[in-house]
Amino acid sequence: MSEEQSNTGATGTAESPVVLEMRNVTKTFGPVKANDDISLALHRGEILGLLGENGAGKSTLMKILYGLYKPDSGTIVVDGETANIRDPKDAVSRGIGMVHQHFTLIPRLTVAENIVLGAEPRKNGTLDMNRAIRETEALCERYGLRVDPRARVANISVGVQQRVEILKTLYRDARILVLDEPTAVLTPQETEDLFSVLKELVADGLSIILITHKLGELLGVSDEITIIRDGKVVDTVKTAETDEGALARLMVGREVLLSVERDAVETGEPRLVAENLVVHSSTDAEAVRSVDLEVRAGEILGIAGVDGNGQVELAEALAGTRPVKSGTVYLDGEDVTKLGSAARQGRGLAYVPEDRSHKGLVQDFTLSENNALKTYDDPLFSKWMFILPKAMRRKAAENLEAYDVRPPDPDARAGSLSGGNQQKAILARELSGDPGVVIAAQPTRGVDVGAIEFIHRQLLEQRAQGKAILLISLELEEVRSLSDRILVIYDGKIVGDMPAAEASDEKLGLLMAGRGTDNEEESA
Amino acid sequence: MRRILGGIGGALVFPMIAILIAFAIGAVIILATGNNPAAAYAALAKGAFGNPAAIGRTIVNTTPLIFTGLAVAVAFRTGLFNIGGEGQFYMGAIAAAFLGVSLGFLGFAAIPLVLIGCVLAGFLWGSLPGILKAYFGAHEVITTIMLNFIAIFLTAYLTRVPLAREGPIPGTEPVEAAIRIPLLGLGLGRANLGIMIALLAALVAYLLLWRTRRGFELRAVGLSPGAANYAGMGIGKNTVLALAIGGAFAGVGGGVEVLGVYGNMDLPFVRNIGFNGIGVALLGRNHPVGVVLGALLFGALASGAQQMQFDTQVPLDLASVLLAVILLFVTATKIVELILGKRARELVSGTRLERGLGS
Amino acid sequence: MEDFFGSIGPILAATIRNATPLVFAALGGMFSERSGVVNIGLEGLMLISAFAGVVGAFLSGSAWIGLLFAVGAGLTFGLVHAVMCVTFEADQIISGTAINLLALGGTGFLMVIVFNQGGTSPDVEKFSPVAIPLLSQIPVIGQALFDQSLLVYLMYAMVPITFFVLFRTPFGLRLRATGEVPEAVDTAGVSVTRMRYFGVALSGMLAALGGVYLSMGILSSFSENMTGGRGFIALAALIFGRWHPIGAAGAALLFGFAQALTIRVPPEAVPNEFIQMIPYILTIVVLAGFGGRAIAPAAVGKPYRKE
Repeated sequence: MSEEQSNTGATGTAESPVVLEMRNVTKTFGPVKANDDISLALHRGEILGLLGENGAGKSTLMKILYGLYKPDSGTIVVDGETANIRDPKDAVSRGIGMVHQHFTLIPRLTVAENIVLGAEPRKNGTLDMNRAIRETEALCERYGLRVDPRARVANISVGVQQRVEILKTLYRDARILVLDEPTAVLTPQETEDLFSVLKELVADGLSIILITHKLGELLGVSDEITIIRDGKVVDTVKTAETDEGALARLMVGREVLLSVERDAVETGEPRLVAENLVVHSSTDAEAVRSVDLEVRAGEILGIAGVDGNGQVELAEALAGTRPVKSGTVYLDGEDVTKLGSAARQGRGLAYVPEDRSHKGLVQDFTLSENNALKTYDDPLFSKWMFILPKAMRRKAAENLEAYDVRPPDPDARAGSLSGGNQQKAILARELSGDPGVVIAAQPTRGVDVGAIEFIHRQLLEQRAQGKAILLISLELEEVRSLSDRILVIYDGKIVGDMPAAEASDEKLGLLMAGRGTDNEEESA
Repeated sequence: MRRILGGIGGALVFPMIAILIAFAIGAVIILATGNNPAAAYAALAKGAFGNPAAIGRTIVNTTPLIFTGLAVAVAFRTGLFNIGGEGQFYMGAIAAAFLGVSLGFLGFAAIPLVLIGCVLAGFLWGSLPGILKAYFGAHEVITTIMLNFIAIFLTAYLTRVPLAREGPIPGTEPVEAAIRIPLLGLGLGRANLGIMIALLAALVAYLLLWRTRRGFELRAVGLSPGAANYAGMGIGKNTVLALAIGGAFAGVGGGVEVLGVYGNMDLPFVRNIGFNGIGVALLGRNHPVGVVLGALLFGALASGAQQMQFDTQVPLDLASVLLAVILLFVTATKIVELILGKRARELVSGTRLERGLGS
Repeated sequence: MEDFFGSIGPILAATIRNATPLVFAALGGMFSERSGVVNIGLEGLMLISAFAGVVGAFLSGSAWIGLLFAVGAGLTFGLVHAVMCVTFEADQIISGTAINLLALGGTGFLMVIVFNQGGTSPDVEKFSPVAIPLLSQIPVIGQALFDQSLLVYLMYAMVPITFFVLFRTPFGLRLRATGEVPEAVDTAGVSVTRMRYFGVALSGMLAALGGVYLSMGILSSFSENMTGGRGFIALAALIFGRWHPIGAAGAALLFGFAQALTIRVPPEAVPNEFIQMIPYILTIVVLAGFGGRAIAPAAVGKPYRKE
């Protein structure tokens, strides 16, 4: 299938002229070689996939191309000419456009204002807004992008915002378009729309670099794929001549372990229960809609879903850090809906939040203080109105040792640790109190492989001890390999519920895209 | 041990650079006026510490700055910018002027009661921007500035009408001599036990921030509101408390000023005591010990300036210029980076707020 | 009734006089804050410029040279704020506070150096009222509005000019964008640093016009701390006017009116001090009412760092 799509969708071939070449690019940050002698070539009218794990060096390379970083060595050749790209302006003047992962749009301005910003049409020195709107409309028409130039960006959807970002580059006559993880924020439908736009663009003679770590997507849309690992180019392959397994091996550098050793555990009573839960987001939109769920002792309940479908709000509502609009939360049979997070912690609820930098840890606190972040007012760590720093430090040292946090120094600043060790420090705090229920939201996001394995082992260990574990993750592999039962969340609703053994990627993927067969509401 | 020494070294880098820059700029200014910088600075030092009377003046100038410096520091540690020290100081002062007279019949025993009243006045006035921030989303920088003026006009009215003394002399009725804070004596002039109260306040602030459960919460909220909320600490409650506690420090400072130095309140009372408190707090990296040292520097500059003017014809306002320049440079990360390299950014943590006013 | 009509003219005239420095400074603050730099140093910028204007006029004998000095001083110290906030990444609030203190101490210092006296400077040439033919003849309001200093007419013009620059020019679009999402401006190839320097420099020059009106429009001399908090009232007007030129000017007029009332209202009825509190109270009410965050430029107060 992928073969067919790539042949019909894109016109570029290896015979087309090379429009962009990056030669022997090296960039170091301190001791880390983010890019190590990287070379790649982009042909006219082709979509080149740049594939690599988080931290492989893709974004660094593209920032060099766009003039945001200066390479230590190496050259960039655009249309056969060596290009000295010192800042984004140079890149733009060479016809390079970039759509960043995080949009750089101004919510309070209109679409047209955002598009022309920095290259405004003028009439007698003043801003010619009418022409800006006309030109925006013309571009939209040409590439089949539906966008209202007069709409305020604050009022349009994420998918449309991405189109505005693309329009910004087209307005500046970009011939080479770089998209950094463009699908991370999109629904499957929006992703498909995006890809058809991209094919429209290459048909018009543009050339596109698509950065992603989702290999499945690349198979459907790209012509060639360059794989980067640890800052080096591993290989460049024709999409038509490869498959998912081969790409995964190249990307990760070993056979991917898809299965985790799991012992059978007898499941027991429901320990964490939500009934008819409705939760609002920070912008007061309904983020969780009438969710029912039940996590039993001795099981891992996985929640799969695309980012931004209510997972964060659900986890926070269950943990008590976000108020509930309606519905009930039970912890070991007790109605805890009205209780705050501190009270729920006291009743044996542990919560590993999805954002360790801004929620899980106070970066400028020591590990000892972080270890007592929730328990500073326990008798163990405090007396009357005072805290007991020595007791905190002793307990922290114990925990850090037990959970293999490096360095195991209670006085180290949390922010000085690597992501994996920060996550282990959170796990140490949350699990050492012998909780009955564990909510783990994206517990392995952005941590190294070693830490991932450690964290997975810990969760399975908790399961073996008869704890009830709710695992919320964007990584389908993780959910599939760890969970006993899987729920799929889409648009704040649970749209699928199945034993892990019955879940396939395809089945889950469809549900995550809101295309569940058992969910008729969605089609309405 | 090395970490502790390194920490102290790091803590001193920013203030020292700011102070050096200020004195260098000051020297250029002095040269431009046709005077000798060395002579002027020598006179400055003499005026600040040269004899008991000078030391006494320095103590009198330092005392209120410790209080307003603490008012800024405690809020800052909670991630809040308290520019309201001025108003909170005035509210404490007017409370002392009022209570000092109405509780005068108690004699010496009234002093602690009056000061408790000042704490309350500052606490309540400080809680206003806290409430406005926590429950109405109004940024504390703007509201504390506005509340400064409201406090100043309010005390002006109270001083002029209901609390005015009999006769033609403006100002409030003076308190009984018995409830004035005792002088230190030793030829130190007007220097009084108020400095001891200020040092005690610094100790209280230290214990509060680093040894109490409330302080643990305040610091957690200041460093990471997200993590504090995650841990179940109330952000709103701690926001209100931080500004209120800051206000209480400034309030008691106003009371000490009235009971210790003036014996009553009259406008203009003290000028820029709250704003200079910001400089004191930042120079002291928002640590109580640093605040005391910062206040001492500011106080010494203020008292030495008169001697400098007398000895060298350099106008005493030079001291205010030096203070302003120190404040100007004390958070300038990039300058220190230029001197020390990138590592400097870590050193500045704890002395700046990354939040903007818009969100 | 006769007394009522008779007092409209003087009250209106006083309102304009009080509002003029506020309008200038508030519009100045707007350029700065729209670019993302908080400017609580307006008070100091006005004070320095009021002083510089008098020095210029004193040395040259010409009010116009004085004006040039004032604007130069406003620009210079505006740039000091910009260097500190934008280039050295100092805290914007602290830099503003420092500029206020610097202005107070610096003008006190220079009073002694330049005039060899503290307190009040000698008299200099001022921008005296110039009656506009015909318009100043309009009954009741004519004289109040159109028999004023040239600086007042400049203030009238500055409101629409500011509006036009902000909303009808590429510069204005870029400035507004810089105060909202500087990253977007940067990626669009426009220098955030440059835009912020422009914004802060303009705010210094506009605040200077407000300052020079105080010392050479209303009075003809400088006295210590003569701004007396007007920079902060201008800041209040900026916020009360929701960072919009028309709104800010309107708020400044309202606050000027409140000040004009203080002379008219008998102190037995309402004590002066309470009328003077009005701008500050209104500003707090507005901030609390709108939740503050919804109306301020989104990036105001945040230093912008490229990675």
